[in-house]
Amino acid sequence: MISIENLSVNYKSDSDVYTAISGINLTIPEGGTLAVIGPSGCGKSTLLKAIAGLIPEYEGTIKINGDEVNPKKQTIGFMPQNYGLLPWRTVIDNIRLGMKIKRAPELLDRKVLKKLMRQLGIEGLGHRYPTELSGGQQQRVALARVFALQPDVLLMDEPFSALDAITREEMQDIFLKLWQKNNVSTIFVTHYVEEALYLGQRIAILSASSGNINRIVDNPLFGGKDIRQNPEFFEMSLKLKNSIKKDWNQAWEN
Amino acid sequence: MGKLVSLWYLLAAVVLTLVWFVVSQLVDLPIIPSPVLVVENLADIFMKYIAIHSLYSLWRIGAGLLLAVAVGLPLGVIMGYFPQTDRFLAPVVYLTYPIPKIALLPILMLLFGVGELSKVFMIFLIIVFQVVVAVRDGIRAIPNETYYPLYSLGASFKDIFFEVLWPASLPKFITAIRVALATAISVLFFTETFGTQYGMGYFIMDAWLRVNYLEMYSGIVVLSLLGLILFTTIDLIERNACHWQYK
Ligand SMILES: Nc1ncnc2c1ncn2[C@@H]1O[C@H](COP(=O)(O)OP(=O)(O)OP(=O)(O)O)[C@@H](O)[C@H]1O
Ligand SMILES: [Mg+2]
Repeated sequence: MISIENLSVNYKSDSDVYTAISGINLTIPEGGTLAVIGPSGCGKSTLLKAIAGLIPEYEGTIKINGDEVNPKKQTIGFMPQNYGLLPWRTVIDNIRLGMKIKRAPELLDRKVLKKLMRQLGIEGLGHRYPTELSGGQQQRVALARVFALQPDVLLMDEPFSALDAITREEMQDIFLKLWQKNNVSTIFVTHYVEEALYLGQRIAILSASSGNINRIVDNPLFGGKDIRQNPEFFEMSLKLKNSIKKDWNQAWEN
Repeated sequence: MGKLVSLWYLLAAVVLTLVWFVVSQLVDLPIIPSPVLVVENLADIFMKYIAIHSLYSLWRIGAGLLLAVAVGLPLGVIMGYFPQTDRFLAPVVYLTYPIPKIALLPILMLLFGVGELSKVFMIFLIIVFQVVVAVRDGIRAIPNETYYPLYSLGASFKDIFFEVLWPASLPKFITAIRVALATAISVLFFTETFGTQYGMGYFIMDAWLRVNYLEMYSGIVVLSLLGLILFTTIDLIERNACHWQYK
């Protein structure tokens, strides 16, 4: 469970202070997913970084399972926009990195790792370096890394944006399968309304200028079978797109 | 791969020796003896006279290098990872870096004497600046995103160092040592011409003064082999430690 109350983040430079996000309130129930969608520069990455404990100075509270966020105490699976794989480590060492840092050798079970890699279709790639992988394969390695850790929360910054449309849908399915098995509370940022509808139980729409949440939409379609083929899916995504456009256009005009 | 490389080294050695041989025949003066004679002479005197000199040179280079790494690496890491420290250390480094280190030799000799210490310290001075700047720049070039997964896992500085800082700066670090070492060897040669009875510099200059060209050339050959050994060792280390760069 993640609960965020009145969260604000200011970036301070020598000369001025820039408020990236302000007054954010959110709760994600245990094992739930939330999609965050918003125009470029509205503070999506900032929000995720704050929850991941990467921004030491913020106002408000961020609690994970009832405790103030602390990377040393909780296990946070954070997947940055470019996957964050270390180029000088092989695939298998990249996957093991989290356990090494968390000093959690009990998670280093060979069989479990192997199974995870098989599920993700990267079983033969353990000895390669990230530069020797395709974008989709790097993505799978990054997923293996966070899921192998069995994190308390999972935070993903535009996880599937860099992939082509078909690979993206494939990865969304793989993610959904893993998520159903592990049931980890997840927040992810996306640019695609379809992705938000497919993977998000709820969808938070950030506003264009003020750095806060415009509204939160419940997603009744989430978890249904083959919803991408469903006419309701089309309808809903169209409606959502149009209303988002209206919100953002209004903000620009102001 | 390895075989092919050694083959090229062999070829280069053969070509150089051939050129030398042809020139020696053309000039036909004692100042350029035939390589055949030099190699014969080398086989005769290497164990008897030269080995000890090459060991002295090697020890001075090794000690200076070790000292430079021991000081330069931590300094570079600190300057690269903590921008605040760079702000006041960078001017110090930049003001002292361009001074030709050989110009400091008189001062070093006054401070440390003409013996081992000033020679080792000279090599240290030549290498340390290159190491500091290379490591610092290597670390500065690491994008922030590389750190995020580690920070979000609560990584300690030790983790950050071994998982990111060290591997990211290693290639530049090794290149810096390679570049600095060439300068260090030539300066070492110079410093070995006084204040000592040992070292390749002493041996070669001494042979020259005794007008023993065969010994002088033997010394030069040993010195170049010494360089070859040092550089191939560095290449080997790089190949093993920076695996990922050769993919
Ligand atoms: N380190 C920083 N220092 C100062 N300002 C920053 C910093 N990082 C981000 N900002 C500013 O904060 C705002 C929000 O940035 P953020 O990266 O969170 O946007 P985003 O919603 O993720 O955008 P995108 O969709 O393009 O990734 C931007 O206006 C950006 O310029
Ligand atoms: Mg972003």
